[in-house]
Amino acid sequence: MNIEIRNVEKYYGDNQVLDIDYLNIEKEKITGITGPNGCGKTTLLNIIGGLDKEFLGEVFYDNNKFSKKVKQAMTIVFQKPYLLKRTVYENIEYPLKLRNMNKKESKAKVLDVMKKLEITDLMDKRGNKLSGGESQKVALARALVFNPKLLLLDEPTSNIDPEYIVTMENAITQFNLKNKGTIIIVTHNIQQSERLCHAVINMNRGKIQT
Amino acid sequence: MDYIVKGFKDALNLLVSFDKEVFSIVSLSLFVSITATIIGSLISVPLSVYFGIKEFRWKKLFSRITYTMMSIPTVVIGLVVVIILARKGPFGRFDLLYTRKAMIIAQVLLVSPYVFGLTYGLAKSRGEIIEKIGLALGANRLEIIVLIIRELKVDILVNVATSFSRAISEVGAVMIVGGNIKHHTRVITTTISMMNSMGDYPMAIALGIILILISFVIHSIIYSYSEEK
Repeated sequence: MNIEIRNVEKYYGDNQVLDIDYLNIEKEKITGITGPNGCGKTTLLNIIGGLDKEFLGEVFYDNNKFSKKVKQAMTIVFQKPYLLKRTVYENIEYPLKLRNMNKKESKAKVLDVMKKLEITDLMDKRGNKLSGGESQKVALARALVFNPKLLLLDEPTSNIDPEYIVTMENAITQFNLKNKGTIIIVTHNIQQSERLCHAVINMNRGKIQT
Repeated sequence: MDYIVKGFKDALNLLVSFDKEVFSIVSLSLFVSITATIIGSLISVPLSVYFGIKEFRWKKLFSRITYTMMSIPTVVIGLVVVIILARKGPFGRFDLLYTRKAMIIAQVLLVSPYVFGLTYGLAKSRGEIIEKIGLALGANRLEIIVLIIRELKVDILVNVATSFSRAISEVGAVMIVGGNIKHHTRVITTTISMMNSMGDYPMAIALGIILILISFVIHSIIYSYSEEK
C-alpha cells in the first residue's frame, strides 16, 4: 500500500506538533521514521493509522482516502502494547475472528506466526500477565497474523532483550519479503533503521528533515 | 434490652424453621430485583460504553447529568411510575399499578442510571486504550463495544452487583408502585418497614438478616471471580 501525505498539520491547542507539506511512502518497502522525543513521530503514525482524525490536510492510501476497506487492511503495534485479558493464542486469533476466518485456517495461521516469533511456549498464558517484552512479541504476532497490507510499528523492540531483537527483525523482514506488505517503523535506534529499512525519514519539531 | 434479644431469637427461629411467609417474601424480592437488574443492565451497559468512549460536544454536561441521575431519590422514581401507570395516566389502560410488573418497571428506572453512571465512568477512563486496539485490529463500532464489555467484564459485574444491592434494599419506589399487598407485592424492605410500624420486630430482624446475607453472598461471589481473573 502506497501512502501519500499532503499538507498535513496537527495542533494541540495553539501548539503545532506536525507540519508536513508532502511525503510519499513507497509501497512494499520498509520505511523508518526517526527523530528526537516529541518530534511528532507517533502523531504521524496515529494519523496514518486512522486513529487520529483531528488534523488538517489529506492522507491517501493507494490514491484512496481512509475507508473501512483501508482500515481492514492495516494495523498498528503500539510502543506499550495492550493485550486482551484472554490467552496469548486468543489474542493472536482475535483479528482473524474479526475477519470471519474459519477455525481450522486461523489455527494454522496463529501457530505459524507463534513459531516464527518463538512464542509457542506462551500460548496458554493470559495476555495481561505477560512482561513488557513478551507483550511486544505477542502484539507483533497479532499484527502479522492477518497479513496486513500496511503495518505500522511504534518502537516495536523497545522492551526486548538484545538477543531476541534479531528474531523480531527477521520476522518483520520476512513479512515484508513474503507478503509484500508496506511497513512504517518508528524507532530511536539508528542501527536498527539501517538494518531494516529501505528508506529513512528523519523528523524534527514536527517537520521532515531533508 | 430483653425485647431486642427476644427479637433476634424469634428471628433465628423463623429462619431455621424455613417460615413459609418469610421465604415467599424473599423470593419475590429476589425475583423483582434480579429481573429489574438484568433488564436495566442489558439496556445500560452497551449504551454507557458507547457514550463513554464517544467524543461529542457537551460531553462534560452529559457526564454531570449522568451522575446526577444516579442520586435520584427512589420515592421520586416511584412517584413518576405511579403517575405514568395510574388509571388516568398515559399507560393506565394496561392496569399495571400495584402489580409485580410495576415494581419491576420502577426498579429498572432505579437500576439503569446507576449501572449507566458507573459503567460510563469506567469506559471513559479505561475504554480508550481498548478502543484503540480494536480500531488498530480492524474492529467496527459494535465489535469495539463488545470488546470493551468483555475486557471490563469483572468491573462491570461489580457495578451490576452494586446496582442490584441498591434495588433490593430500596423501599420507596416498590412501596409506592407495589402497594405492599400480602402474597402479591410484599417484598423484604416493605415488610420491614411495615413490621417496624407495627412493633413486630422478629420478622423485621429476620428479613434484615436475609437482606444483609444476600448482599454478602453476591459480593463474595463477584469478589472471588475478580480475584480469579
